[in-house]
Amino acid sequence: MARTTLIAIIVAVVIIAVAAGYFLMQKPSEITPPPEEKPPEEKVIIIGTTDKVTDLDPAMAYDFFTWEVLSNVGEGFFKYEPETLELVPGLAESYEVQEGGKVWILKLRKGLKFRDGTELTAEAAKWSIERVARIEGDPAWFVTDFVDKVEVVDKYTLKITLFQPVAFYKAVLAVPTYFPISPNSYPADEISPDNTAGGIGPYYIEKFVRDQELVLKANPNYYEKPKTDKIIIKFYKDATALRLAIESGEIDIAWRTLNPSDIVDLKKKEDLQVIEGKGAFIRYIVFNSRIPPLDNKLVRQALAAALDRKAIVDKVFLGTVTPLYSLVPAGMWGHIDAFKDKYGEGPNYDLAKQLLQQAGYSETNKLKIELWYTPSHYGSTEADVAAVIKESWEKTGMVEVEIKSAEWSTYIELTRGQGLPVTLYGWYPDYLDPDNFLFPFLHTDSNRWLGKPYSNPDLDVILEEAQVETDKSKRADLYAEAQRILADDAPIVPIFQGKLFIVAKKNVKGIVLDPYMLLRYWLIYKE
Amino acid sequence: MTSLKAYILTRLILSIPMIFILLTVVFVILRILPGDPVLAIVGMKASEEQLEKLRRQLGLDKPLWMQYIDYVMSILRLDFGRSMIWGRRPVLTEIMDHFPATLELSVSAFIVSVGIGIITGLLSSLKPSSKVDVSLRIFSIVAYSLFIPLLGMILQLIFGVYLRILPVAGRKSPLVDIQTMTGLYIIDSILTLNLEGLITSIRYLILPSITLGVVLSGVYTRLVRSSMLDVLSADFIRALKARGIPKKQLLFKHALKNAFIPILTMMGLQFSILLAGAVLTETTFSWPGMGTFLMERIEYRDYTTVQGTIVFFALLVSLVSLAVDVVYALIDPRIRY
Repeated sequence: MARTTLIAIIVAVVIIAVAAGYFLMQKPSEITPPPEEKPPEEKVIIIGTTDKVTDLDPAMAYDFFTWEVLSNVGEGFFKYEPETLELVPGLAESYEVQEGGKVWILKLRKGLKFRDGTELTAEAAKWSIERVARIEGDPAWFVTDFVDKVEVVDKYTLKITLFQPVAFYKAVLAVPTYFPISPNSYPADEISPDNTAGGIGPYYIEKFVRDQELVLKANPNYYEKPKTDKIIIKFYKDATALRLAIESGEIDIAWRTLNPSDIVDLKKKEDLQVIEGKGAFIRYIVFNSRIPPLDNKLVRQALAAALDRKAIVDKVFLGTVTPLYSLVPAGMWGHIDAFKDKYGEGPNYDLAKQLLQQAGYSETNKLKIELWYTPSHYGSTEADVAAVIKESWEKTGMVEVEIKSAEWSTYIELTRGQGLPVTLYGWYPDYLDPDNFLFPFLHTDSNRWLGKPYSNPDLDVILEEAQVETDKSKRADLYAEAQRILADDAPIVPIFQGKLFIVAKKNVKGIVLDPYMLLRYWLIYKE
Repeated sequence: MTSLKAYILTRLILSIPMIFILLTVVFVILRILPGDPVLAIVGMKASEEQLEKLRRQLGLDKPLWMQYIDYVMSILRLDFGRSMIWGRRPVLTEIMDHFPATLELSVSAFIVSVGIGIITGLLSSLKPSSKVDVSLRIFSIVAYSLFIPLLGMILQLIFGVYLRILPVAGRKSPLVDIQTMTGLYIIDSILTLNLEGLITSIRYLILPSITLGVVLSGVYTRLVRSSMLDVLSADFIRALKARGIPKKQLLFKHALKNAFIPILTMMGLQFSILLAGAVLTETTFSWPGMGTFLMERIEYRDYTTVQGTIVFFALLVSLVSLAVDVVYALIDPRIRY
């Protein structure tokens, strides 16, 4: 009897499942109303991404996507004007710089409230900045490296005194680490990683289910009304799933990160639009000049000359990135094409051979080097990047490249520890200033994270000077000089600069892709 | 104490050393693997002081044997510890957040696989070596050798992209809210009388469970077929035939009933394969379950989470195999422990 029942149950369940499946397939439109069928009063946009939220706490968050979320549910004293790199007042309605850039007086907007009802005051802003320093999370250096003390002048006026003038401090003040948060919603001394209270921004977090969805709703306490009432972010495991989701119409926008081939394919779809924008992220090769034979400048120069950027751009990325000839991205003030000036567009095999010969290498006595990459951290294209670099160097006939790889956690451990001879890395800026593209790589005390590949006291002086110089044209001159030294010494060789791509349904408007790179959800709307 | 109770108790006691061996192996392997978890957590730009501080906080500055003893002691207290990354949430909370998704997928895939297996196996055994039999046997081999992501992607393309009748990824429509109680969306939707939630959960479940179910059904097809053929050629079936019992009754009441023991055994054995298959299915369909979660945490060398999750899986597999053994005894009175 029991066995019969068991079989009957199984058969019944299968029949029900099949029947339900059939029924559901027959009437898809009645079952899930697409977003446009929602009541007109609530406008919804669904964004798909392969990124993930790490710690939803400004004192700990230090990654691209979490910063994007924080920038939509909070705001700094300054913010970047869309389409430009100009910093305009955010939560600070005005400001004053004193003592040659050492003291910053910030006057806050009045009448703004956090989600818990607490008013935005200088006291709350001071508490938020000091909390970052107290917690000592990953991005704490934005505060601890620069700020001597924070004082409350009056209810809405904040005074920040720096250790010394910092030319780009306004950009630092715009990073999410400085976003004011409510003292009544966050603990004073510890990280609150899943805290959805946020700061004061165009949206607030209505719901967050890790790895599944993040729902944002327009913040009535913010001083401007977003164009869309509700933003839903859906998380996908990989680029393929994301592509299928936009193709099937499940999401309105496919944001980071689709494969280059997906972008090329989706450009042909009539119901979708592919929006392209300038990105400020860069990829580069690090030659560890402490490790022979890369301690020989001629070797580094030869490899820099033989690099075929165009092949990488065309073959691996199908034209979705652009060749780069400096660590400072093209389009940013201060950028010069230092490597192109020195080695040509490349590959310059004649020059490379000449330099290799000078270094004592020949077709019979080849330069042997190891080229390391990490297989997934920078996307699935990385093995191909390494292969094309190997091919371009070996075309000189005087170089033999052995490609090696390691998973990310091992890769960075090896880089920092024993040091790897040639590695491939990428950089997303912390703040938009040439300093952030040169100082962390080239200054002797700052590039430990890359295994201390390079040290040049003359360059250190230039970089330090540029940090405190307040005259922009003088800074540009200093950075131009730094880039020329970089191209000549070639400890780090830029490969390409990324572009940003968004694939969206045709009726989605208001997407701004600029070098700020974080998507501003409040500007997006559906027609 | 009855012999069955004694058997259950012995099995439970025996599973303790098994779990500790597994735990030790995982502990050692994770530490042998290259890759510094602290560096993976704070990022490559962190200062030496930051790394040291975090190492101390996580107890990774202690000698390995001390770390091991600490860990075993906490497991004995049923404390799975806290994750090492992203908010250091308790491992048990992480498991409870992700496991219902895997359970829902596994159960539905299990139903699909057993359903397909029984139907095809039965049809196949009715006329051995007929066209139907040969085609179904070929189906079973093809199904078993299918690569889950490949089958998944084909179904996604057909039903998601071209026909646009089924969703391709996730557990529910982002436009529908489901109030969670058990974490099993179908059950939760029923409990809260949320029809919209029920429909969306079933729709999102269809493709992943069919993918995993079809791949796992091949084994059942072959097993049901051979088991049925064995039973059908048994003396008692011949005797029943001779007594003029109708064919339908003969098949379902007598033959299938007796053919069920090996199938049940296979169900128990397949459970761990089901979980392994769920990992691949979850990745293909961005299903937010244990599989994708575990893979991600291994990459970040999140020691405590990986250890805790594996202990959890080990407990689960041993409990399921114990349950299967007990069910044998209940189903077949001849089996005694």
